[in-house]
Amino acid sequence: MVNSNADALGIIFPNTYDSMIPELVSERLMASIPFAGRYRMVDFILSSMVNSGIGNISLVVRKNYHSLMDHLGAGREWDLTRKNGGLNIVPPFAQKNIKMYTGRVEALASIIEFLKSQREKYVVMADTNIAVNFNFKKFMDAHIASGADVTVAYSEEPLPEGAIKRNDLGSNMYYTFDIDNGRVTNLNICSKEAGTQNFSMNIYIIDRELLIEQISTAYLHGYSYFERDILSTQLDKLNVQAYRYDGYLARICDLKSYFDENMRLLNEENLDGLFSGDPIYTKIRDDNPTRYIGEAKVKNVMAADGCVIEGEAENCVLFRGVRIAKGAKVKNCVLMQDTVVEQDACLEYIISDKNVTFTCGKEIKGSDSFPVYVAKHQTV
Amino acid sequence: MAKEMIAMLLAGGQGSRLYALTQKLAKPAVPFGGKYRIIDFPLSNCVNSGIDTVGILTQYQPLVLNEYIGNGQPWDLDRLHGGVHVLPPYQQASGSDWYKGTANAIYQNISFIERYNPQYVIILSGDQICKQDYSDFLRFHKEKGAEFSVAVMEVPWDEASRFGLMVADENDKITEFQEKPKNPKSNLASMGIYIFNWDVLKKYLIEDEADPNSENDFGNNIIPNLLRDERQMYAYHFSGYWKDVGTISSLWEANMEVLDPEHSGINLFDENWKIYSRNSGMTGHRISSEAVVENCMITDGCRISGTVKHSILFAGVTVEPGAQVEDAVIMGGTTIKAGACVKHCIVAENVVIGENAVVGAMPADGEKGVATVGSGVYVGDGAKIGPNAMVNSNVKGGEEQW
Repeated sequence: MVNSNADALGIIFPNTYDSMIPELVSERLMASIPFAGRYRMVDFILSSMVNSGIGNISLVVRKNYHSLMDHLGAGREWDLTRKNGGLNIVPPFAQKNIKMYTGRVEALASIIEFLKSQREKYVVMADTNIAVNFNFKKFMDAHIASGADVTVAYSEEPLPEGAIKRNDLGSNMYYTFDIDNGRVTNLNICSKEAGTQNFSMNIYIIDRELLIEQISTAYLHGYSYFERDILSTQLDKLNVQAYRYDGYLARICDLKSYFDENMRLLNEENLDGLFSGDPIYTKIRDDNPTRYIGEAKVKNVMAADGCVIEGEAENCVLFRGVRIAKGAKVKNCVLMQDTVVEQDACLEYIISDKNVTFTCGKEIKGSDSFPVYVAKHQTV
Repeated sequence: MAKEMIAMLLAGGQGSRLYALTQKLAKPAVPFGGKYRIIDFPLSNCVNSGIDTVGILTQYQPLVLNEYIGNGQPWDLDRLHGGVHVLPPYQQASGSDWYKGTANAIYQNISFIERYNPQYVIILSGDQICKQDYSDFLRFHKEKGAEFSVAVMEVPWDEASRFGLMVADENDKITEFQEKPKNPKSNLASMGIYIFNWDVLKKYLIEDEADPNSENDFGNNIIPNLLRDERQMYAYHFSGYWKDVGTISSLWEANMEVLDPEHSGINLFDENWKIYSRNSGMTGHRISSEAVVENCMITDGCRISGTVKHSILFAGVTVEPGAQVEDAVIMGGTTIKAGACVKHCIVAENVVIGENAVVGAMPADGEKGVATVGSGVYVGDGAKIGPNAMVNSNVKGGEEQW
């Protein structure tokens, strides 16, 4: 391999934590949730991998992946339309009945022959519930320097309310670490502890051969979860190193955090934190620039291309193609692609999904602690 | 596989009347309308009209243009057979030559055209802003049984003598051609867009090349020769938006017209006739709490904290708090620092306007100059650039240029 390319292949799990945000995934999956005006959640980790020289990336999808395939296409926008490697979407295997995986072990077991036939020395793995501009190169270097078997990235932060409050976590397990001198000594599952924790970002790097060996054994034993069944039970045998990430990240745990994380990007420092590094790529829509016409009044807004603003907007994140008509007032809202706010409508604390229309004069208000969500294609 | 019609796009023009804007790039690569370059218009027209093979003839400062076109993917012109090809002059066994004129540029690429064995060739110009359906033009050409057709626009009679004019009968058959005549017999101005039957064009190109006195130009040589031989020549009436953005003031004006599509007729918001461009890849633009934004077009990567009125901002423009921008065209990557006043002007790419600097002025006392700042220029703090200035090199803080 030439230096500029990383000797690692990427695996992304686009469905992890789907059920924590049921509203947004009714017709899609975590990876294709629109975020930050013109992106989908998958764009961040995918672009990060590409920018770190990883050019062989598989997405092991579980269900509801139509929107993701539409978004990614052949991977051209991420420079992943390659003869060797490139983008590889792995759908569930349809036998007599379609077999859907529950945890990473089964997902990886389903592509084990693929993993065996690859040539990269390392495998990096990630979920898509975190928007982050992550430098996988540094991460890899740390892994190699430490001589670890597995390295996992974490951030120091309090556990999000959305996670702590839930009792029905089921497959949505999250992990915190006890760390001694860089090594993970204890892996806590669904901890409810208050205060700053070593909160796993579920970004891993592991030797490919070791991964194949571990997955094969675990699968034979009927295990499902990489963290619970492989890592946490073998912390004495496997050298699992923790890699602290100090940069900006946006973690989506529920609808409220989705709203807050969008809003947080209205702060310029946060925006720079997420975007000032390497570029984040996304599907191109060829929208025209956004137009502000006549009486338009905008304060503290982030807007993508293709919007037409004739009304008022304050503290909003506007995705591509949003229209706000004359006399309409939109405050503290996240409006996804092609939302139409007709004349004199008045919105506060609303999350509108794609293609929602708010008809003339309608008034809807959510609150800071409970933003109202309007589903795809609805007319209010 | 033969193509019915392929396009040849003349993109070698220097655009010398755009001065500061075309020092380092060819005119077709000049940015336009917030996220486009001029060449996006003919290229998008081609794709939207079903033309999938385009030869782009370059000569002057082709670097930016070449990189911008790349493999043609943004316009969907990366094709297995055909697609977009940049065609600079090249060396041949018999010697090498610059393109001597528009006709000579096509002549030198006869073998390119022959590879596709087309029935028709459309000749396009890379320096016009125009949304046009070339397939309708071709339909006209076929219906008339023409060997040559030219797209024409009706212009006001008092301006007609500035144009190349086609005199046509009631069947649109061309009977005479007048190049910038004192006494116009027609007000049908040639748009410089032609459809030829390829066999006819080829014959006249070869003949023209053999004539040592020829300027090798379509308007001055090829068209008069066709007329002389009484070929089937027709004028196709086009009535949509068309603008030759050859001068600073017309470029500025066309940009301003983009802000008012309801009246100007240049609608970039047309879902049925999208204009494609290479994407900046920047994140959404941000308008801060203290910003004032009125009647603007703003695109990805912009950060606005000052006042922006009736202006077009390209990708990645920063307007700092207290800065004022009005009636301005600000191209990509430019920063306008706090307190600067930028009005009625064109500021090219990657310019820095220092704190409290003044660029241009709103028209007053019949003075309508559009100040122009060339790309990469640094205008120091407190500097002053007058409404008729054309700035091409750095201006020190406090200095004045008129």
